Amino acid sequence: MQDAKETLERFFLEMRWRCLSLAADLDRIERAPGGASILATDPRLAQLREAIGVLTRGGPGRAEQVQTIFSDKTPPPR
Amino acid sequence: MKYIDPHIHCVSRTTDDYQYMARCGVVAVSEPAFWAGFDRSSAASFQDYFRHLTDIEPVRAARYGIDHYCWLCINAKEAENVTLAREVIKLIPPMLDHRRVLGVGEIGLNKNTRNEITVFEEQVDLAARYDQLILIHTPHLADKHKGTSIITSILKNDRRIRPERVLIDHCEEHTIRIARHNGFWAGLTIYPVTKVTPQRGADILEQFGTTMICVNSASDWGESGPCNLTDTCLEYLHRGHTETEATEVFFNNPCRFFGQNPKWKIRPIG
Repeated sequence: MQDAKETLERFFLEMRWRCLSLAADLDRIERAPGGASILATDPRLAQLREAIGVLTRGGPGRAEQVQTIFSDKTPPPR
Repeated sequence: MKYIDPHIHCVSRTTDDYQYMARCGVVAVSEPAFWAGFDRSSAASFQDYFRHLTDIEPVRAARYGIDHYCWLCINAKEAENVTLAREVIKLIPPMLDHRRVLGVGEIGLNKNTRNEITVFEEQVDLAARYDQLILIHTPHLADKHKGTSIITSILKNDRRIRPERVLIDHCEEHTIRIARHNGFWAGLTIYPVTKVTPQRGADILEQFGTTMICVNSASDWGESGPCNLTDTCLEYLHRGHTETEATEVFFNNPCRFFGQNPKWKIRPIG
């Protein structure tokens, strides 16, 4: 099994790339007509901000927490 | 639509890539001299490599209807060995008149070391003395911003260098202003993970305009490929830009930069 340093070595560039891509995605939305309003009000972006919060906090289970944030929590149909 | 890939390392690519480019409409490429995937042990290795670039690869490309041009230099990665670099630099002047050589490149920095800077300055001097176009390699990742600043300072301080005859390649969001504000051409390398993605490439074109910008794949030994060039064009078109606008970026701009050397025969469209 790879140790933590080896694991980081293997994935860091992709992690950096994903972070950069997300930043560029948000910039792109902001530049587009209506961007500021969408950034402020769209519930999906609110979920995204909540998910980013999970990344910045410590602790295990980040992926599961992020999946939960993006999951439909309404009751099943009757 | 016709494309030019202004920066691709064909010696490291398979014939499948040539077939792909031909099918997609790539009609010409330019191949800067660079690292061979390993550090070479002598100047003789570079002599053979230069022959590969000038005489062998153009024939290989022509089989797919692709016009192949090249650039000569010792790359920044191997410039740490100044003695070897100087031996290699001596090989270049007699080859600059070759009909496939567009100029000196890709010269620049890799880790921003003193030795790299010495060799870079000597190759800038070579280009100035022989009035050559210059293709610049800027460093990767954490070294990029600092290296781009060092490179452009050196170029600006040499009064023989005309910025419009220099292309600063591998620009990204945090370095493109450095190139543009100093009157240089800028290159975007679409090379996901370590450089620019097709989406971010299209973003940069939208934000900075299409004047004096070339887009390339820099396909090499790493996980890269000529499809990154065509994918960027598709992303640009998908956003509502016209084929005429795309042709400006993906065909005409390389013709304009390279066309400053009369050996480049392809003219802009329209």
